[in-house]
Amino acid sequence: MHTTSRASLALSISVLVISGWAYAADPIKIGLVNETTGPNAEAGAYTVNGVKLAVDEINAKGGIMGRPIELRIEDNQSTNPGTVLAYSKLTGEGGITAIVGPIRSTQIQAASPTIQKGGLPAMVGGTDPSLTKVNNPWIFRLRPNDSYSSRVIADFGLNSLKLKKWAIVHSTDAFGTGGMKALSAALQGQGITPVLTQGYTNNSQDFTPIVLAIKKSGADILATYMTNSQDVGIFAKQLRQLGVGVPWVGSPSIVTDTAMKLAGPALHGTYAVADYTPGSSPEARSFADKYKARYKLDSDVYSSWAYDAMHLLKFAIESGKATEPDKLRAALLGVCGWKGVEGTYCFDKNGDGLKGYNVVRNENGKITYLKHIDFKD
Amino acid sequence: MEALANNFQVLFQGLALGSIYALVALGFVLIIRTTNVVNFAQGDFAMLGGYLMVLFLVGMPGNPDLGLPALGLALPYWLAIVLTVVAMGVIGIAFNYGVYYPLRNRPFLPVLISTLGASIFLQNTVLAVFNPQPRPLDKLVGVDGITVGGVFLDSQYLVILAFTILAVAFQYFLFEHTLLGKKLQAVSQDKDMARLLGIPVSLMIIITFVYSAVLGGLAGVLVSPILFVSIGLGSAIALKAFAATIIGGFGDIAGAIVGGLIIGVVESFAAYYISVPYKDAYAFVFLFLVLLFRPQGIFGEKVSEKA
Repeated sequence: MHTTSRASLALSISVLVISGWAYAADPIKIGLVNETTGPNAEAGAYTVNGVKLAVDEINAKGGIMGRPIELRIEDNQSTNPGTVLAYSKLTGEGGITAIVGPIRSTQIQAASPTIQKGGLPAMVGGTDPSLTKVNNPWIFRLRPNDSYSSRVIADFGLNSLKLKKWAIVHSTDAFGTGGMKALSAALQGQGITPVLTQGYTNNSQDFTPIVLAIKKSGADILATYMTNSQDVGIFAKQLRQLGVGVPWVGSPSIVTDTAMKLAGPALHGTYAVADYTPGSSPEARSFADKYKARYKLDSDVYSSWAYDAMHLLKFAIESGKATEPDKLRAALLGVCGWKGVEGTYCFDKNGDGLKGYNVVRNENGKITYLKHIDFKD
Repeated sequence: MEALANNFQVLFQGLALGSIYALVALGFVLIIRTTNVVNFAQGDFAMLGGYLMVLFLVGMPGNPDLGLPALGLALPYWLAIVLTVVAMGVIGIAFNYGVYYPLRNRPFLPVLISTLGASIFLQNTVLAVFNPQPRPLDKLVGVDGITVGGVFLDSQYLVILAFTILAVAFQYFLFEHTLLGKKLQAVSQDKDMARLLGIPVSLMIIITFVYSAVLGGLAGVLVSPILFVSIGLGSAIALKAFAATIIGGFGDIAGAIVGGLIIGVVESFAAYYISVPYKDAYAFVFLFLVLLFRPQGIFGEKVSEKA
């Protein structure tokens, strides 16, 4: 009897304590659908790093409208079905204000109906242009979509480098062909027809015929949409061996860590478009420094967009003074001119927040920031 | 003049890639001859060769899930090659006992499936020990290459061509001029008869697997500086190498070499003159034509003659 009463006393005290604390500062719950396990687990760990950095910063400064953020991480196992499950679990449990993630377009595509049914703002990082064009009012994108990368490549080559004889080399997969088509259209819009458009299948072992064709075409600028880093490495080396030295502007794959390790000096001096670049703004620089200090790692795109997502949610909730899904959605759609790590956000009615890319240069193996090119539409 | 140089450039690349196909095809043929089995893990021997070099030259990143610590190594290049050859030999022995030996009295198909399983096992093991990022590997010689008459000759490709010639010469000498070679040939022709003559058949088969694994591993070591070390390194080469063994004549050593070179040159020229995205298709179109007009392959005997 004695023990029971003591236990019930302890219980009632803890209930009192918990409810009292909850009354003082009811946390704002934010979900994160993340690649915690599976083949992309490495990238998933970086995303959690970025999110936790933001959450700790916000909570240390008194949270959102005085309420701390409580993070709920749900693993999607790096799969599409896992993403659907994670979303239905988070939207089903109630009390959650918004959900961040994931970064893969295919996973977002799979979860899109669930996101729509759940009715909570979903802050995503996938760059497939179609994601925000399926009449799903809840998807907000925190990275520029792929249609802008080709426009930035064309703009940079034509207006900054002032070169007009274009050779385009692209992988024949969905990404490479899509990029090639968008770039051709962007060039055509400026009255330029590429002198050479050359596809190749992924995992090609030899690019000699392509390099010889570039030489023969008399191109003075090369643009690429390549998928695999091995292909980038082999192509870059053969290009230099056979003496092609024209300026090269590529999609982000030529500035990935792996591609740069494989190709080495063969990629020096090339240009690429990239969404997150540490040197692109004071915000990006400060994030890169804080990330490095805390994790002893270099920050990358997997952490940057998710860091932005948390801070942007705080900004939108505070400017709309509400956490209800409808009001938060309206507040997010009204964000324009908010400076994040990825760039300056201005949401359109589709939920696309960013409309431009950074142009970077590979200076002897180090990525340096050149300029940022933004579009209005 | 430039057009001529371009043609020679295309020819050189074709011959060089063809040599790689030929080396892997040689491994296929040796195992087919002694065991009547197509070893679908032959390409993965090349992949293992590449990763062993990375292990000895750089180390491995480690995997806490498997309890593997990170390891940093920096052995000299020559020592790494020697250790890779030794390790491939051991892998050949293990492959014999793990994949072939338990099924040696079974028909063709179970053994074939067993090698396919070994291929998947090897790829996933390497994936777990290293990570999916491909690795670069230094060239054997410090020079990138030389330019002769407008044609760039990649130093690594020159090494590959030289090694292929050496390997063919060694193989010819082994099979035609040594007692061991005669024993290996006897086993490949008739196992029962060879056993009656006192030839240790199982040992001969082990030697074949060791030789094929080492050959495949060396092909991987040689090609990695150009194609990089990656999990898929072997499968891309093995499919073409397998086509080469069929074009050359199933199980014919000279045929494997010629078949490999033909595939390399055909796909290189077809890519240059017709279209690049269909590069991989040409090898198989050529294979199709060979099967249509000379089903026994270039050097193969007609089946009826064997019977």
